[in-house]
Amino acid sequence: MKQSLSAEWLKLRHSRIGIVLAVLPFISLLIGCANYALNREVLTNGWYSLWTQVSLFYGEFFLPILVAIVCAWVCRLEHLNRNWNLVLTAPVPVAAVFMAKWIAASLLILLAQAMFMGLYGIAGLLLALPGPFPAETIGWALRGWYACLSISALQLGLSLRIRSFAVPVGFSLAAVLIGLGLYVAKWGIYFPYSLLTIGMHVLSRDALDPLREALFWTVNAGYGLLFAAWSVRGLKGRDAVTG
Amino acid sequence: MRVLKLEYYKIRRKKIVPMILLLLAAEMLWACMSNSLSISRNPDQAVWASILFMTASLNGLFMPLITAIVISRMCDMEHKGSTWKLLAALNVGRSRLYAAKFGCAGSLLLLAIAVQAAVMAVYGLAQGFSGGLPAAWLLRFIGGTMLATLAAAAIQQWIAMAAKNQAFALCLGMLGGFIGLTAPLFPADVRRWLIWSYYLDLAPVTYRYAESAGTFAAQPWDGRIAAAALGTAFLCFIFGNLHVARKEI
Repeated sequence: MKQSLSAEWLKLRHSRIGIVLAVLPFISLLIGCANYALNREVLTNGWYSLWTQVSLFYGEFFLPILVAIVCAWVCRLEHLNRNWNLVLTAPVPVAAVFMAKWIAASLLILLAQAMFMGLYGIAGLLLALPGPFPAETIGWALRGWYACLSISALQLGLSLRIRSFAVPVGFSLAAVLIGLGLYVAKWGIYFPYSLLTIGMHVLSRDALDPLREALFWTVNAGYGLLFAAWSVRGLKGRDAVTG
Repeated sequence: MRVLKLEYYKIRRKKIVPMILLLLAAEMLWACMSNSLSISRNPDQAVWASILFMTASLNGLFMPLITAIVISRMCDMEHKGSTWKLLAALNVGRSRLYAAKFGCAGSLLLLAIAVQAAVMAVYGLAQGFSGGLPAAWLLRFIGGTMLATLAAAAIQQWIAMAAKNQAFALCLGMLGGFIGLTAPLFPADVRRWLIWSYYLDLAPVTYRYAESAGTFAAQPWDGRIAAAALGTAFLCFIFGNLHVARKEI
């Protein structure tokens, strides 16, 4: 497992994924801040108003797609040349190969979330918002990351099966819309892409009631395990397509 | 023409058209459902302009992403199979191959926009919008959306062919979608520089915000924006073509 993980880092070391991770949250934040600055007379709730502006598009649309891009990235190298043959004949369990990819993708997404929060703090200071930085938002970002774990398990499963980089990203876009529809229909707690909206408090600041809070954690964990098992099964059972 | 036919031949099993239709289905479902919701709250919204404006707004988000995905798939197969080198060794100029790919992608995207127009027409007739089918508006919608899409497609193809890693092309599509979605928030002077905001600027209708409520209004054709879209498409296509044709494989 440790070897698989270090191999993943080795593969990511000189890739330019950092640019992708930095640019997308930065632009989301920049536009959110510009909108906040232009509508300050209406948005009077300080840090929380800024959060609604910066997290709306980022959490609702772009974070799930960023997750899809990161997952496709960590599988990209295997789809080139005949690398699947190499990876699948290495003396490590197939589950370890998947787990290493899952951990690598999760850490990259955590990095993007940390960058987003850092930029949010800096933006708030630059906009001279009253009051201290709301520690609550760090919890929301972490819950968003937790919701991303099940999404990344699913996206990894797709990216491991599909050789094209773009198809899993397209799937993510369609799933985001379905998630938005289910959230509006109050069924969001049962769909992984809506759980991200709920976890990051993108559309509502209200705290979840204890039942829904418990559901958020358990449904997410359930989906994570289910998608991970599906992905490992796919790696074990299907013939590797190389070339 | 033979080169263009070969492009269609290469993608015959790539399921690109079903993928476009799937994404369009999600978009149009969203547009029609939110439009129906608006009508149920305010019956004054039961006009052709409402569905046209809703679709044009959503296109700001969807079309850059659909364009990125379609073009990335068509270019990625050359990178993955190392077939660009093979094609370059044939008795066909690389510029013609590049143009054929652009033509093929453009025709698929035109099909997508035509499907959108057809869905809007069916939805409007089913809802019984007054005034009959607004053929002129639908044609202008197709033309305006296609111009903005061509500009986005030219940039996407340049990036997707120049960089083997398709993450960059898809990130650009995502940024385009983000800009397209938030375009109405920008002042007109800023929007002019962002081609992804042209989906709304070239739409046949607009929404005028008033103090308490807004109204739909016909939007006159802005020749300067159309020329800017066409110019961007032309320049990006030419520079991309030159760059890719001269780049060592």
